[in-house]
Amino acid sequence: MTWHVTQPLWEAYSQGELNAAAQASVEAHVTQCSSCRAAAAAVVPPSPQLWEAVHRTITRPHLAPPLRLLRALGVPEADLVILGASDALALSWGVAVGGALTTVIATALAGARQEFTFLLLVPLVQVLAVMASFSATDSLRELATSTALSKLRVTLLRTAEALCITVPATAVIGVVIPHLSALAFTWVLPALGLVLAALVLHTWLPAWHAAGITALTWALVVATSQTHLTSAMAQGLAAAIALVLALVLVARTTPIRRGGLR
Amino acid sequence: MTTASLTDVSVTFGRRVALHPTTLSLEPGIVGLLGPNGAGKTTLLRTLATTLPPTTGSIVVAGHAVTGTSAQRVEARRHIGFTPQEVVFPRGMTAFGFLDYIAVLKEWKNTQRRHEEVRRVLDLVELGERGMSRVSKLSGGQRRRLAIAQALLGAPELLILDEPTTGLDPEQRATLRNLLSRTHGTVLISTHQTEDVAALCDRVIVLHEGQVRFDGSVAALLGAAAGRVHIGPTASAGAVHTWRTGTGHIRSVGGDPAPDSVTTEPTVEDAYLLLRADDHLSSGAHA
Repeated sequence: MTWHVTQPLWEAYSQGELNAAAQASVEAHVTQCSSCRAAAAAVVPPSPQLWEAVHRTITRPHLAPPLRLLRALGVPEADLVILGASDALALSWGVAVGGALTTVIATALAGARQEFTFLLLVPLVQVLAVMASFSATDSLRELATSTALSKLRVTLLRTAEALCITVPATAVIGVVIPHLSALAFTWVLPALGLVLAALVLHTWLPAWHAAGITALTWALVVATSQTHLTSAMAQGLAAAIALVLALVLVARTTPIRRGGLR
Repeated sequence: MTTASLTDVSVTFGRRVALHPTTLSLEPGIVGLLGPNGAGKTTLLRTLATTLPPTTGSIVVAGHAVTGTSAQRVEARRHIGFTPQEVVFPRGMTAFGFLDYIAVLKEWKNTQRRHEEVRRVLDLVELGERGMSRVSKLSGGQRRRLAIAQALLGAPELLILDEPTTGLDPEQRATLRNLLSRTHGTVLISTHQTEDVAALCDRVIVLHEGQVRFDGSVAALLGAAAGRVHIGPTASAGAVHTWRTGTGHIRSVGGDPAPDSVTTEPTVEDAYLLLRADDHLSSGAHA
């Protein structure tokens, strides 16, 4: 080094009295010169504002990769906090992908009962993935109830977050697995009804209890009437049930009830 | 200025009456809620915090009817901070992340202002340096303070704390008292720690079997026990409670004083025990 930052130069720099060229020269030099870097701390003590900024940077929560992706897609930061509270999506997306793979394997191995297996599992994957997204924050339900944010908004956010993975994954299964093309999309309306049923139950029960009850009920329905589930009447009935359940869900997640109902 | 009012509010679970028709008005200041387990304290707090709808009656918080329209109920919730008796934190969350999540649920949409508010309440409960710690790594007392911190978000007009000092050591309790004593709104605290009531509260409400048994100042509660607590070598006949103190003398709450005993100043605990004993006597007389 041919020169070092002198005391008067440090003082002028720290007080912002240098012109832009001189300031840049000092900064470029300090990045290269270890002795001037060491002297800098003594000459220019870190200001409280600087420490405050450092503290803020350190204590700012870091978003998990899936949430950063959603932020890049324009999802508001506050919504990302809600989604991130459920294990940063890990559990619900894990259930979604795991459930889809399980469905593929179970259906392939089911032989003559391929259609039964497919119709049983595919809607349940949606239910389990959605309920998984609620399970992480189940313990805070009472606390969340006392807050002002719309519960319907939270419910829809979490449901959409889980379904955006499960629906495409399971739709592909129906198309890819041979002999199932006739059933490829017959699960959509029953799955919608089941997800809504689980969400309605979840307004009273913990997430996994709601998922369990829904799964058992669906297993009974499929076991007793699988040959009729693909009929237009069954699909219409599923749509009607889903509509009713949607209305119940809205009623349960918006505080329009009078006292006395619980 | 009334922060919250309850008019003929009752809560029943099936045939069991958890809270008989109760009318209360809460003004700014710290109100202590005392009562044995099952007296209806938590039911009253949950009802006021809008997490449990009343069976009958009406509740107004900050001028908004909790039992009215949905819009009014949501507006009332904007003025309430609530710490339930037990908060089970989601796994994996940091202290900051937990408060950030609750702040979003309290409609803090602007990220920068929300984070500033989270840092403010973390500092208030002396957890400013533990913000990035996972909740599972915090001690029981720190978790309790974190549960209280979320209720402080937004400096609500009505702060409802269900047994906030449980699990706190004496120093942490003193810190919490200091914090609450600087709160400008209305604070309603349910507690079994009568010394907290004596140290903090302007007003005390005693619940017994779902009914308000006493509602008045701490001085009035103490006044009701004046002359009924004695200390001496022998216990008072028919005393409600007696125990040997560190000096070897026996402290008797209620009863007929022994001739060699002297009357002593009652504590809030003495007054509370006497009130409870009087309740038992009147229950027995009615039976």
